[in-house]
Amino acid sequence: MIEVIDLKKDFGAVQAVRGVTFSAPDGHITGLLGPNGAGKSTTLRIISTVLRPGAGTVTVDGVDVLADDNGARMRLGVLPHQSGLYPRLTARENIRYYGELNGVSGEALKRRIDELVTMLEIGEFADLPAKGFSQGQKIKVALARAMVHGPKNLVLDEPTNGLDVMATRALRALIRKLRDAGHCVLFSSHVMQEVAALCDSIVIIAGGRIVARGTPDELRRQTGESDLEEAFVKLVGEEAAA
Amino acid sequence: MNVRKYLAVFVKEAVDNLRDRRTLLTVLVFGPLFGPLFYTVMMGTVINRQVADLDQRYSLAVQGAENAPGLMDYLRQQNLAIEKAPADPRQAVKTGKLDVVLCIPADYAAAFSAGRPADVQLIFDKSRESAGKNIDRTRVALQNYSRAIGALRLVARGVDPRTVSPIVIEDTDVSTPQSRAVLLLGMMPYFLLFAAILGAFYLAIDSTAGERERGSLEPLLTTAIPRRTLVLGKLSAVTLFSAVSLGIDIAALVYCQRLIPAAKVGISVDFTPANAVATFLVCLPFCLFVAGLLSVVASFTKSYKEAQTWLSFIMLVPMIPVLGMVMFPMEPAWWMMLLPSMSQDVLITELIKGEPLDALFVALSVCSTLVIGGALTALAVRLYKREQILG
Repeated sequence: MIEVIDLKKDFGAVQAVRGVTFSAPDGHITGLLGPNGAGKSTTLRIISTVLRPGAGTVTVDGVDVLADDNGARMRLGVLPHQSGLYPRLTARENIRYYGELNGVSGEALKRRIDELVTMLEIGEFADLPAKGFSQGQKIKVALARAMVHGPKNLVLDEPTNGLDVMATRALRALIRKLRDAGHCVLFSSHVMQEVAALCDSIVIIAGGRIVARGTPDELRRQTGESDLEEAFVKLVGEEAAA
Repeated sequence: MNVRKYLAVFVKEAVDNLRDRRTLLTVLVFGPLFGPLFYTVMMGTVINRQVADLDQRYSLAVQGAENAPGLMDYLRQQNLAIEKAPADPRQAVKTGKLDVVLCIPADYAAAFSAGRPADVQLIFDKSRESAGKNIDRTRVALQNYSRAIGALRLVARGVDPRTVSPIVIEDTDVSTPQSRAVLLLGMMPYFLLFAAILGAFYLAIDSTAGERERGSLEPLLTTAIPRRTLVLGKLSAVTLFSAVSLGIDIAALVYCQRLIPAAKVGISVDFTPANAVATFLVCLPFCLFVAGLLSVVASFTKSYKEAQTWLSFIMLVPMIPVLGMVMFPMEPAWWMMLLPSMSQDVLITELIKGEPLDALFVALSVCSTLVIGGALTALAVRLYKREQILG
């Protein structure tokens, strides 16, 4: 469960986030949707504790990211914008490193890595250096790395970027599986179809503010548009005009 | 601090960078072996030439040798080969064909037999440095001959030759052979400290600016490791690489100085294994200092390239006191112990001289270097706690 209350953040004169409030419950896929530069990544980076909130609060399973950043990180698995694997380490070594940093070790860590390698179908390239991995392989390993300590909450920043259709479908199936297992999945994208296909509820963000929220059906009703993309354009456009 | 997480960072940085060929070559080969190789080749050449100079028969061009057969015999005993001077000795010396020419006038024999001072003439070019040794050797040989003949004449007249030597100069050179070796080994501290810096160089960049450039820093910062533990793990790995490079350098120097025929010129280089170990130990704090300094600077830079540019410059900074000591030699003083690199420079020099280390100096050096290294480490931790670290 991730809760964001009246979050604000500015970088000098640029106000990237101007009062964002939403919550991403467990067993639920929450989509954070918005055009480029809307403040999605900044919001996710604050949740994953690499940026500090300017104002407002963010809690992960009730743990405040400002009061106990390390505790919040324990409860989070983060797939950032760039996979950022170590090119000279193998897939397995990359995953193991993050496991150790997150306090998993020994036999438990080994078992967990084997489990993830099977689940994400990494086996074929598990012992090759990450240098030559395709984008899809990188995302898989980065995802395994984010999940190695079995966090309840997953933050995925545009995970389908650069993936082909087959890889995207596989990833969606996996995310649904994680939801069904009770995980809280917070997912960002700038592609409407992506979000519509996957998310239980959508939070639309534009210009650093939340302009709409609800299930895909609720959003269609709210805007009076039958097509979700039209609804999105309408919502975001209103904000841009305002 | 969570030791397991600290070790995870330490091991990962070490293993990851050992797989990088450039880092590996720098730490194991270029950094540590450049100094000893340079030293061996240079010193070997210098010493061999010096040895050759002392033993070598050199030929002395003499004009009018037939006028002074006794003197010629004496000079030959002094390992000088007598040669006939060319027709124009002045020109020959001026053009550098000959270092020195001895001219003996025709009236030499007459004056010599009569017991009057007999003139001989030395032609040389003082501005030519390379000729200096041969000029001195000739002059000393002539003076010795003159003194010996003078003494014989006094004895023949029943006078004690010592009466004409009211003062006897006795040379006592207080420099031990080992302290003379310091002149030859003066570059060694420079090479050692340089190896320590070069060993740390690439890892310091890779673990800071490199991590950011690859995009691996952001995910790393989302793991549940306190920033302090993370930075300490990284700095420890950098310190290790620096120490490995330093250790190889010292071992290579111990080996190399055995290859150098220093004893031939009366210099005993006694860089014993025990002294080598002591050198390594007094330099260890410097490795931490370097790791902190390079990591802090690299943390400010945006990319690998930028970090490389800055560090190439920064790595010269610890060398300034060392070069200063070469140009303006000073007696070791306590205040020098407060400066990292200068204090190690002084202590290494003492160890090479084979002199006992002042315990207070060692303590001051270790403490001050560790304190400054610790302050740099604390600064690195602070930098990693700022969100600007993501660049």
